[in-house]
Amino acid sequence: MAEVKTREKRILWIVSIPMALLALSAVYPVFFAINAALKTRKGYVLDRFGLTTNPTFVNFSQAWNQSRLSEYFTNSVVVTVGAVLVLLVVASMAGFALAVLRFRGRRVIFMIILVSLMIPVQVVLVPFYRTMIGLNLIDSRPGLIIAYTAFFLPFSVYLMTAFYARLPRELFEAAQIDGANLLRVWWHIMLPMGKPALVTLGILNTLYCWNDVLISLLVLQDQRTLMVGIAALRGEYTTNVPLLAAGICLAAAPIVLIYVIFQRQIVNGIAVGAVKG
Amino acid sequence: MTETLPATAAKRRKATAAAHADPGSRGIERLAYLFVLPALALVVVFRIIPLIWGLGYSFTDYDGMSAPRFVGLDNYIGIAHDPVFLDSLVNMLILLATLPIWIGLPLVLAILIHQGVPGGKIFRAVYFFPAVLSSVIVGAIFNVLLRYDGSFNLFLKALGFSAVDWLGNSSTALFSLIAVQLWSTFGMSLLIFIAGLSTVSSEMLEAAKLDGAKLMQTWWYIVIPSIRPIIEFAAVVTTIGMLTSMFGLIYVLTAGGPGTSTILPEFLIWLEQGKMNRPGYASAISMVLFVMMAGLAAIQIRIMSRNADI
Repeated sequence: MAEVKTREKRILWIVSIPMALLALSAVYPVFFAINAALKTRKGYVLDRFGLTTNPTFVNFSQAWNQSRLSEYFTNSVVVTVGAVLVLLVVASMAGFALAVLRFRGRRVIFMIILVSLMIPVQVVLVPFYRTMIGLNLIDSRPGLIIAYTAFFLPFSVYLMTAFYARLPRELFEAAQIDGANLLRVWWHIMLPMGKPALVTLGILNTLYCWNDVLISLLVLQDQRTLMVGIAALRGEYTTNVPLLAAGICLAAAPIVLIYVIFQRQIVNGIAVGAVKG
Repeated sequence: MTETLPATAAKRRKATAAAHADPGSRGIERLAYLFVLPALALVVVFRIIPLIWGLGYSFTDYDGMSAPRFVGLDNYIGIAHDPVFLDSLVNMLILLATLPIWIGLPLVLAILIHQGVPGGKIFRAVYFFPAVLSSVIVGAIFNVLLRYDGSFNLFLKALGFSAVDWLGNSSTALFSLIAVQLWSTFGMSLLIFIAGLSTVSSEMLEAAKLDGAKLMQTWWYIVIPSIRPIIEFAAVVTTIGMLTSMFGLIYVLTAGGPGTSTILPEFLIWLEQGKMNRPGYASAISMVLFVMMAGLAAIQIRIMSRNADI
């Protein structure tokens, strides 16, 4: 028995070496981008891979000011914050009704929302675009907020409904839910009780909105979000890698920060739906 | 997972009984609709109606300007003879054929981490890290790394191989695209598998070890069968992702090229609706994509609604 244990230990130690190499590969690209962003254009051409000896921030200021990233950054922040707030309110209201309240068509409505999960934006690209034009939502930040809400909503409603359904029912029965105080029950009981799920959803939806490119490309035309801006920068500055790298770092920084702070919530949120909670 | 089903049914019955005991449940019914209305309206207006509308477009010669004219199956006949669409299908099939790697790699890593590989917690965090980055970020960095004079070739040359123009060569571009997407997203399945493995009873594993089962045997005969539903779920979600989540990376890494070598149907839809200005034709491709993923999505939805316990 002990022999088996030590043999197993040894195997695990050996496999940890290729696993560590894979882990290095997972962080190398970001390291490369940071390192390149700190070099001057000439410095990069002379030595692309070596560690930067005298870091410069000129690329960051150029990307931020001349390449209009500051403007794109603002757009992304406004749209992401707006969409996440709307998503949380709408999903929590729907989750409350679907999980706690009893009304005819409850299951059908839940299924309609869940089924829309299988309609990604590519499948409805043309009519979705036409709908946005028809509702005068094209090229506006509120329009993009609504579009993000529509496309990221089904999963959020699913998670809130599943979360509320698992809370003990006595909680609501004690609250004497009737028509008059429904809104108050939602605000004073459901929102605070739903906090763990809302935090997870808030973070995941922040990632989705911030990282999106396709919906933003469709909805915004004269304006740009950060990811569309980076994609354009990639096309325009194929030779000026340090500038592109600086833009990449600026665009990725908020997400990296969120990942470092909220790793646990993100990790828990990913497995939702796959494993019974 | 199957043995939890009766418990679910019992809970459901209890919930229904409680519903009848709800005070004033008739009074709140109308207000309950107000609570689901915003969610329902958004989903119906921006997804369900457009789906039906798109089906209608796919039978027309709609060009975005003049009124659409009914052309029957012309668009579908057109795409069946369109070499670009057929290329995109072949590319998609090649991508789908790599599914075992997309499942096997994270599965093996998840089991190793679950079995307590040294540094497992760090590995989990680091492997998942690329998955939080936008495909635009990943694509833009790899566009530089995979150039002829990029880091990857430098690494290969150090190992004694010769450099390859990974993205500029139509025989390697698709594999580069697939590899980059795999690299950046396998952490998702990894997390799902780790969550699933935490539900496997450790007594069963210990008993197997006492019986003298080898490491590989316990994996194959105990660990993997016990998380089979989760592996199936991950396979479905990964396949859906292959069909519908590659746009960002294609857009930034290869733009579909060289030639048609990295065009997938979802990217072609975007090209046809925008650059080619053929929304009717694009809608037909959309419908083909929808049919391809509908069955998969139905499985995903069934698993999710079962796990939601409503």
